[in-house]
Amino acid sequence: MAKTQRVHVKLNGQEREAEIEPRLLLAHFIRDVLGLTGTHLGCDTSNCGACTVILDGRPIKSCTFFAVQADGRELLTIEGMMRDGKLHPLQQGFHEEHGLQCGFCTPGMILSAYALLRGNPSPSEEEIRWGISGNMCRCTGYQNIVKAIQNAAAKMQQEGVAA
Amino acid sequence: MIAKTSPEIGGLGHSVKRKEDLRLIQGKGNFVDDVRLAGMVYGQAVRSPFAHARIRSVNVENALALPGVLAVITGKDLEKAGLAWMPTLFHDRQMVLAVDKVLFQSQEVAFVVAEDRYTAADAAELVEVEYEELPVLVDPHRALDPDSPILREDREEKTNHIFHWEVGDREATDRTFQQAEVRAQVNAIFQRCHPAPLETCGCVADYNTGTGRLTLWLTSQAPHAHRTLFAIVGGIPENNIRVISPDIGGGFGNKVPIYPGYVCAVVASLKLGRPVKWIETRSENLQSTGFARDYHMTAEIAAGRDGRVKALRVKTLADHGAFNAAAQPSKFPAGLFSVCTGSYDFQKAFCEVDGVYTNKAPGGIAYRCSFRVTEAAYLIERAMDVLAQELKADPAELRLKNFIPPDRFPYQSPLGWSYDSGNYAAAMNRALEMAGYQELRKEQAAKRAKGELMGIGISSFTEIVGAGPAHTFDIAGIKMFDSCEIRVHPTGKAIARFGTKSQGQGHETAFGQIVAQELGIPVADITVEEGDTDTAPYGLGTYASRSTPTAGAAGAMAARKIRDKAKKIAAFLLEASEEDLEWEPGRFSVKGVPGKSKTIQEIAFAAYTNIPPGLEAGLEAVHYYDPPNLTFPFGTYICVVDIDKGTGETKVRRFIAVDDCGNIINPMIVDGQIHGGLTEGLGIAFMQLISYDESGNVQGGNFMDYLVPTAMETPHWETDKTCTPSPHHPFGAKGVGESPNVGSPAAFVNAVVDALAHLGVKHIDMPLTPWKVWQILKQKGVVD
Amino acid sequence: MAVRIEKTFQVQEPIDQVWKLLSDPRNVAGCVPGARITEAVDERTFKGSVSVKVGPSVTDYKGEVRFERLDAAAHEMELVGKGQDVKGRGSASMKMTGRLRSLPDGGTEVATVAEVNVIGILAQFGGRMINDVSDVMFGEFTKRFQKRLQESAGAVKPAVAPAAGQDPVAPTPAAPVAVETTAPEQPPAEPVNAAAVFFAALRAAIRRFFHRLLGGSA
Repeated sequence: MAKTQRVHVKLNGQEREAEIEPRLLLAHFIRDVLGLTGTHLGCDTSNCGACTVILDGRPIKSCTFFAVQADGRELLTIEGMMRDGKLHPLQQGFHEEHGLQCGFCTPGMILSAYALLRGNPSPSEEEIRWGISGNMCRCTGYQNIVKAIQNAAAKMQQEGVAA
Repeated sequence: MIAKTSPEIGGLGHSVKRKEDLRLIQGKGNFVDDVRLAGMVYGQAVRSPFAHARIRSVNVENALALPGVLAVITGKDLEKAGLAWMPTLFHDRQMVLAVDKVLFQSQEVAFVVAEDRYTAADAAELVEVEYEELPVLVDPHRALDPDSPILREDREEKTNHIFHWEVGDREATDRTFQQAEVRAQVNAIFQRCHPAPLETCGCVADYNTGTGRLTLWLTSQAPHAHRTLFAIVGGIPENNIRVISPDIGGGFGNKVPIYPGYVCAVVASLKLGRPVKWIETRSENLQSTGFARDYHMTAEIAAGRDGRVKALRVKTLADHGAFNAAAQPSKFPAGLFSVCTGSYDFQKAFCEVDGVYTNKAPGGIAYRCSFRVTEAAYLIERAMDVLAQELKADPAELRLKNFIPPDRFPYQSPLGWSYDSGNYAAAMNRALEMAGYQELRKEQAAKRAKGELMGIGISSFTEIVGAGPAHTFDIAGIKMFDSCEIRVHPTGKAIARFGTKSQGQGHETAFGQIVAQELGIPVADITVEEGDTDTAPYGLGTYASRSTPTAGAAGAMAARKIRDKAKKIAAFLLEASEEDLEWEPGRFSVKGVPGKSKTIQEIAFAAYTNIPPGLEAGLEAVHYYDPPNLTFPFGTYICVVDIDKGTGETKVRRFIAVDDCGNIINPMIVDGQIHGGLTEGLGIAFMQLISYDESGNVQGGNFMDYLVPTAMETPHWETDKTCTPSPHHPFGAKGVGESPNVGSPAAFVNAVVDALAHLGVKHIDMPLTPWKVWQILKQKGVVD
Repeated sequence: MAVRIEKTFQVQEPIDQVWKLLSDPRNVAGCVPGARITEAVDERTFKGSVSVKVGPSVTDYKGEVRFERLDAAAHEMELVGKGQDVKGRGSASMKMTGRLRSLPDGGTEVATVAEVNVIGILAQFGGRMINDVSDVMFGEFTKRFQKRLQESAGAVKPAVAPAAGQDPVAPTPAAPVAVETTAPEQPPAEPVNAAAVFFAALRAAIRRFFHRLLGGSA
């Protein structure tokens, strides 16, 4: 029988725990064990960024992270982006600016944008492009994604809210 | 003239925000790997490290002994069921699991099934295969050499030659060349690349022993065609197969073929009576699934000294890999490559293509190619620039001089196509205006004098999409019509189902807009469904930019059938005769009697509650549309580049894209498609290559080596449109998804060559990596 | 994927002693990390294996090594080796020439040129690292070889004078006997830890890059 370990995480504000193999990747832990399938896997060399989640406030690629490393820490996935039952400004911005087509890169992209705006609430276009350069998109050509992030940044500045 | 509907109705021309967004921005999409069923198990393929080898033995004992492993399927197991081989989509067959030999690195040799992903991976490591290596063939130019190994020992004719195809008038073309004042030639390779959608291929095969039905969640761009093929090849009654293509994370042609992984998962599910999930890794995707291009082409243009082109002669060698798995209409071994006369009025033309086998992954048709139109457009646009260089002519003027003029449409090309409509000069002039072309040329001259490398590249492509008319087009025998079924509910809402399958193109919104336009029902009240073969009408799927020309047309036609019935109901309700009624989107009114009208919602309600005598209840229709012709979108792209003399890196300073796809359903969606396709073209032109070393090891088989443009490399795209409707399409639309990938590679390459033309450079093959360009700069003595 | 590797190293021991050790594949195998000879097919051909460990999984390459050419007079040899991973994950083949040269101080210079061809997963992911991985493995080899030389020097009295490389006590460097029940002692083949080798090679490659960047020679 494979060795297992108990892991506790605070996922989108909720305490979750499970008994898992030490070699289980965080991405699989989130998708298969905790049942949240919004975080996607697009490659096997940690290049594409589709698996991006926020760990203790910082973006990481969950495909290159073991679940046991997340023990006792806080995780934010796309499922946790809604605020008070309403879409986060980033989610709203992506919808308004047509920043998604097939939607596969979108969760990771939104979370990378989230991390960017937390550190830099009013980024230039170049800073936005740099901020999401770890997330591949095959459909949009990034142009509308940039607009979506600018849309969200402007809205949040206006409302005086942080990302 | 298309009536403009209100924003609330949201018919054609409105940039309606997408309905599919809501679930996707919340991470609540339903992609194949999101499907979780009770008792589901996982499959993984065991793959060959060798490009060409005999299989001496396959030992599965250790794998089977691992706790949690439920089955290991080998080629010999499949052979007993007659499933070791399966037909490809193009007159060939391919191995599902290898029995006697393997033909490309990463080919499937066995399939393990285990309780979870990790155990399946462990088990795959424990399968032992003994190989005897054979000599490898990776150079298509050597495929027909007498000393090259014969790869397909299973075929009757022992040769690596697959097909020879030709079209046009060889003699007349040759004669024109003999008499030509000017001849220009280019040898252009369109390199092997890969569509690499962000979601890889996969399936969940669920054979339910209780119902005897197989439900197959599948990353499929053509769910119905796949269902039929699984029925025929697998011997499962077609009514007992349900294919569900849920949310698909990008297709680009990669999800049209049937892959061994699907077949093995189905076999495993039948054997175990449990759902079997198979999701390939990115490496497996890049190394074994449908690649794109690998066309080695030569084009010659015969022209007069005045720059008027006279004849085109094309010869191409097509590398199909180990099996001819190209997914294209059955009568076209080189797809629609013969559109290579492009936007120009050639009097004579001749084109021949030879296909060969090599020890590489099978395929060839993919990556937004419109069935090889990407190769054709690239070739002619490169050739025109080479001709311009030869004549010392301006490439824009040369094109304008040779465009098929608008009054010649429908235009019969010398290679057999009837172009429906076009106004190439309008698109070109708009692009030149947006670019500020004359100023750019002045700037280039000034920079050149200072030794700086700036280039301007033009591509004026003509696309050919919307396959296709039944008399000419079928895939594996199934004619290429498409379909739509609409049902209007009593409360005036509707559901429309189509035979196509969006992988991000926005059909849930755009196709609803078609119905909204025709019936005046607000687009928000229309649910659009695709992808479930139990409910959607039969269609051939989404690829080759065919959806709007075929299924979109079917939607309009079905809606018009409903409108015809609605008219009868309205006449009954208004106690008027049908001739006295006039239509505006959403209502029938009695001519000349203000206020006497019925809305479509009232009519729908009546269809269930107050049915006219002699009429059936309900308000629905289905239409199977056989397009009378293909459609011919076109455009002009202009690319401005600056080359760094120290690193060879090309910076795309500007890219102007003027597209003409006829009448547009949703401008926002069309622009998104253009941005995406141009970005793929950028990757192809500058970064992407799948190559093989002399031992058949694949290079570029993972995302470390196969590069995808990120937001940093991708420039800002400047887009605009002209509109030349298709005369034969129900609402004048043409399709557009692939135009940017068809037109852009030549624009990028023409720009780089233009930057170096004064140094004597005529052509450079893609990808134009900094290393490749730097070497040329070094050779020319201009490195910083 | 074909790679050409040239390596030269020097030892203190005289040429004939070095030749004797180098021309017996069992000695050579003992110095290659993770390798062992399992069977002598004939006096020039040997079957063997190399174990490579990546994380918890161990891969065995099984194959054959053959002395194509053994020129005791000129102190030149040519070896051809080919192995396939027993689980069917790839193969490698190598042709190596080795040349010995007497040094003025009585020692010996060993110059090798190897052409290595790798097929399989290693060629895909490892292509860029093959040179550096070979460097590290070769470094390990020369260390062990030199250690062995010194040990055998201890067992057999070396000639004091830096004469023309003749050692009267050592047996003539003829080809080894076809079948031996007591093979020359070889250490148990510990699988070479590919991950460790990879990281060592990575370190080496990075060091080299910066060395070049800052103007040093390779």
